[in-house]
Amino acid sequence: MAVLQMQRISIYGLKKHRKHILEMIQRRGVVEINDVLQEDSIFQQADMSAQKTQFEKNIAASRQALEVLNRYASEKKSLFASLEGRKEIDAAEYDAFAQESEKVLHIVLRINELSKDIADARGSIQKLETQIEALTPWVALDVPMRFKGTKATAAFIGTLAGDLNQAALEERLAELLPQTPIQVDVISSSREQTCVFLLCRKPDAANVEDALRTLGFARPAAPSKTPPAERVKTLEGRVEEQRKIMQAAEDEIKGYADRRESMKFMVDYLTMRQEKYEVIGRLMQSRRTFVLTGYIPARDADRLSKELEEKFDAAVELSMPSEDEDVPVLLQNNKFAEPVEGVLESFSLPGKHEIDPTSIMAIFYYFLFGMMLSDAAYGLIMVIGCGLALLKFKNMEIGMRKSLRMFFFCGISTTIWGFLFGGFFGDATAVISRTFFGKEVVLGPLWFEPIKEPMRMLMFSLLVGVIHLFVGLAMQFIQLWKQKKYKDALYDVIFWYMLLTGAIVFMLSSQMFVDIAQLGFILSPLVGNVAAAVAGVGAVGIVFTAGRESRNPAKRLLKGLYGLYNVTGYLSDILSYSRLLALGLATGVIATVINQMGSMGGGGVGGAILFIIVFILGHVLNIGINLLGAYVHTNRLQFVEFFGKFYEGGGRKFSPFGVHTKYYKIREEK
Amino acid sequence: MDNFGVVLALLGAVLAALMAGAGSAVGVGRAGEAAAGVVTEDPSKFGKVLILQLLPGTQGIYGLLIAFITLSQIGILGGNVEMSLAKGFLYLLACLPMAIVGYWSALKQSRAAVACIGLVSKRPDQLGKAIIFPAMVETYAILALLVSILAITGIGGLPV
Repeated sequence: MAVLQMQRISIYGLKKHRKHILEMIQRRGVVEINDVLQEDSIFQQADMSAQKTQFEKNIAASRQALEVLNRYASEKKSLFASLEGRKEIDAAEYDAFAQESEKVLHIVLRINELSKDIADARGSIQKLETQIEALTPWVALDVPMRFKGTKATAAFIGTLAGDLNQAALEERLAELLPQTPIQVDVISSSREQTCVFLLCRKPDAANVEDALRTLGFARPAAPSKTPPAERVKTLEGRVEEQRKIMQAAEDEIKGYADRRESMKFMVDYLTMRQEKYEVIGRLMQSRRTFVLTGYIPARDADRLSKELEEKFDAAVELSMPSEDEDVPVLLQNNKFAEPVEGVLESFSLPGKHEIDPTSIMAIFYYFLFGMMLSDAAYGLIMVIGCGLALLKFKNMEIGMRKSLRMFFFCGISTTIWGFLFGGFFGDATAVISRTFFGKEVVLGPLWFEPIKEPMRMLMFSLLVGVIHLFVGLAMQFIQLWKQKKYKDALYDVIFWYMLLTGAIVFMLSSQMFVDIAQLGFILSPLVGNVAAAVAGVGAVGIVFTAGRESRNPAKRLLKGLYGLYNVTGYLSDILSYSRLLALGLATGVIATVINQMGSMGGGGVGGAILFIIVFILGHVLNIGINLLGAYVHTNRLQFVEFFGKFYEGGGRKFSPFGVHTKYYKIREEK
Repeated sequence: MDNFGVVLALLGAVLAALMAGAGSAVGVGRAGEAAAGVVTEDPSKFGKVLILQLLPGTQGIYGLLIAFITLSQIGILGGNVEMSLAKGFLYLLACLPMAIVGYWSALKQSRAAVACIGLVSKRPDQLGKAIIFPAMVETYAILALLVSILAITGIGGLPV
């Protein structure tokens, strides 16, 4: 339950061992490389950007090849693939894979080439098809489209705008050129254009052309040398050819489906090597030696340094990081608290001098989440679902395992609160027994039903809020105490404790508040007076100390008064916990509405079928919505109300040089 | 006109469901447009933006909740629907916080959600913080819900 102590590590080794030392460190994954040394005349950094770029290129190629492969021979994935985690391989398998990496790279490039061929072929097919389409109106023409005429005749082949038939066209031409013999053939006509073949005597050619121009005659853009029908046949042949090329390429790609695993490994292998080369580029190297500096968690430091010294004769130096260093943060918690580390991380990791709030936060997290969802059946569904997944998929990724475990614990809490407040799919037992069995069986609450006594539930919610906030203040106290800021601990925590506790106790002794809150008890006026005095002392203390940074007494007093004004902040923080009531009621009431809608069909078979459908759909929806609501608002109460009292964060995450693969996990020989 | 009280009470219930629901519908729709834009660029962010899209949807649920509690209190879901004019008016007033705050908070929350969808599209690791901003707006819907619930459950016992 703490932030792990980090140590600075410096490793001095011989260059001939560089590869093995780095590979070992990478597999251990416990050192974050951090270079602090300056280059000088002996120690210099090597430029590795060329190699890195090459790796990046090959990684991109491998990914692309995998994508292509998935397109033509898709991979069968089970529904729970995301739960299964990466496959484990041992070092021997790794070496075997690494041996054939050249060959795999060859396949990768071949697949990408084939994919390009397919794309090219697809492009040409499209082009050919456009050409064929353009020729279709001309198919009936039995001479080449470039036919100019014979010795004595001139031919005109082209199109006229609009839909014309032979008679109309002949008539128009006769009007324009009386006395000129013209042979008109309409090849085809559509709404847009009419394709025509005209033949006239050679001496008339010029006149005919003029006349045609006035009619809007245009020669085809791409006339064929052969008769159109023949040309179409040639083009179709070419299309067929391209299709065959595509088919062959696809078949070849499909043939590589059994190499998919090698290709995945390729991506991982190259990613690892890329990361290694990046580190090499950051090493300080002389002609025969190199220096690596970084951070290592203290718990792993001894083991690693011993191993390095024994195996490679390297010199390892460990030291405590100095006060002003930006040390990375790594958390360690027990199995109960660990799952909410992710939630903490999504806020911010602990900064300098801050304690790791994970374990305290975990308790409240499960508690508040359960109160908001508060339905025993929903809780059981979460527990069973997450529990089964955790049992079945042992090899799950750590992040996924943490989330599932978090929802598992939240589910337990939800179940407990559900039974306390009497919610099991809302009021399902009562509705089912009443509708179908004619006798009402009510699953009563172990404690009380919030919908019947909302004021009681509200008071309980606010009480939970007060406890949560007081624990937050206590955390602040511990932090200040650890830094030996005893005065600040008194001013910023103790005075507030006095003011808040005093005010609450005083309220409990006033008749008006007790009436509003419908409490069953009242404190005696004497206790109330003592509490008021305590609160007064606290308030005065705050007024005099909250502005202690300012020298100017007037400014100091004003700042102090403003500090006291913060009491409104506490008020709104506490009221914010009323969402525990609101969200808890939302779950229960919506569940009730669903059950009621389901039971509208009455008893009997039809009613039962309606009920089952409405029940399943409705409750799935309700779980989804309220799970989201509970998650969001638990986070909010932690982040805003709780962390607001003591936690700022700002720590940098420990990101070690390691094996960051996507598909495979390399098992370590111990 | 004897039963005008129940008309007013029903008007309250209907307004709560109607206004809060309409606000949420607009809000979720607006956030959905932004979310769709992010998913076109990067489908892997679907889960993250979905959470943000759903945030303005809760007001509609709170409205439903208030409507349902009111309906069961005034006896429309089976029972006696006799009610004085004053009591009906009280129910109407009790429903108003949820109706009005629900409508506007859903709209404003959707703006925060849209902005945070933009945030997540650029910095997916900041989802935790991105959820908090729209959730801040939600506080006021929850406070309105609370007032409405307390008022509605309290009215039943009043001697008017």
